[in-house]
Amino acid sequence: MSWQIWAVVAGMAVTNFALRLAPIAVLSRMRVPRPIERWLSYVPVSVMAAFVATEVLRPGGAWPAPWSNPYLFAALPTAFIYHRTRSLFGATVAGVLAFLAFRYLLG
Amino acid sequence: MPVFMGYVPIGAAFGVIATTAGFSFLQAFACSVFVFAGAGQFVAAALLKGGAGIATVLIATGVMNLRHILFGATIAPYLRNTPRRLQLPLAFTLTDEVFGVNITDAQSGTADDYSMIGAGVTAWTGWVLGSAIGAGAAALIGDPTKWGVEFAMPAMFTALLVAQVTSRRRAVAAAVAGATSLGLSLILPGAWPAIGAAMLAATVMAVTDR
Repeated sequence: MSWQIWAVVAGMAVTNFALRLAPIAVLSRMRVPRPIERWLSYVPVSVMAAFVATEVLRPGGAWPAPWSNPYLFAALPTAFIYHRTRSLFGATVAGVLAFLAFRYLLG
Repeated sequence: MPVFMGYVPIGAAFGVIATTAGFSFLQAFACSVFVFAGAGQFVAAALLKGGAGIATVLIATGVMNLRHILFGATIAPYLRNTPRRLQLPLAFTLTDEVFGVNITDAQSGTADDYSMIGAGVTAWTGWVLGSAIGAGAAALIGDPTKWGVEFAMPAMFTALLVAQVTSRRRAVAAAVAGATSLGLSLILPGAWPAIGAAMLAATVMAVTDR
C-alpha cells in the first residue's frame, strides 16, 4: 500500500509538470496566429465562469434548490466585495465567513 | 498573499483527507511539494481510499489536469521574453488560481516574470504548509468542512471571474460558459464540463468578434 502511494505521487508529479510545461515551452517561442490569439483571449473569463457556475450551483455534484444553497448566497457578497475592494484576499475571507453564516441560517 | 491564505486551509483539508486515505505524513507532504495539483490530489486520495490501482489514479488525475494545457497555451504569449529557467517555476506552479491571478495581471500589464513566479511560489508555500498542518494534526482538526474551507476555492474563482469581466463581450463569454458548463455537468464527469464550456464559449466569441 505504501509503495503504491509513492508510485502515484511520483507519477502525478511527472505528468502534472509535463502538462503544464509543454504548452508554455512550445507556444512562448512561436508567433501565435491572430485568430488563435483572439480565441485564447476569451479562455480565462470562460474558464472562471465555468468553474464558478458548477462549483456554486452544483456543489459536490449535487443540485440544491437555489433558495437553500449557501454557496450561491455566499458568492454574491464575495463578488460584491471583490468589485469594491479589488482584494482577492478580502473577498475570499468574506466569502468563507458569508458561507459559514448562510450555511448556519439555511440549515 | 491572498493566494497564500486561500491555499493554507485547502492544503490542510488535503492533509486530513490524505491521512484518512492511508498516506503517511511524509507521503502527504511529498505529494503537495512535488505535485501541487489541488483538485487532482483530492481525487487521487479519494480513489486510493476506494481501493483504485496506480494506473487508474494516474489516468484519472492526468485527464483532470489536461485543463492545464489550455492554461499554458493562454499564458504562453505573455512569456515570449521569459528565459527558459524562469518558465520552469512558472509552469510548475500553474494551478487554477495562480493562472487566474497571473493571466489577469498579465492582461492588464501589471505582471512581470518575477511577480508571476512570486504568485506561484506563494501559493505553493501556502499549499505545502497547509498540507503539513493538516497531515500533522488530522485528528485535532477533524472534519475540515466544519471550518467552511470548501468555499475558499469557489470564493477565489468568484473574485477572479469579477476581475476578468472587463468588457461587455467578456460578460457574454462568461454567461455562455457558465450556462454551458451547467448543461455539460449533467452528462460529463470531473473537470470536463468546465473545459468543454470554456472552449465552446471562447470559440463562439472569437468567431463573432470583429
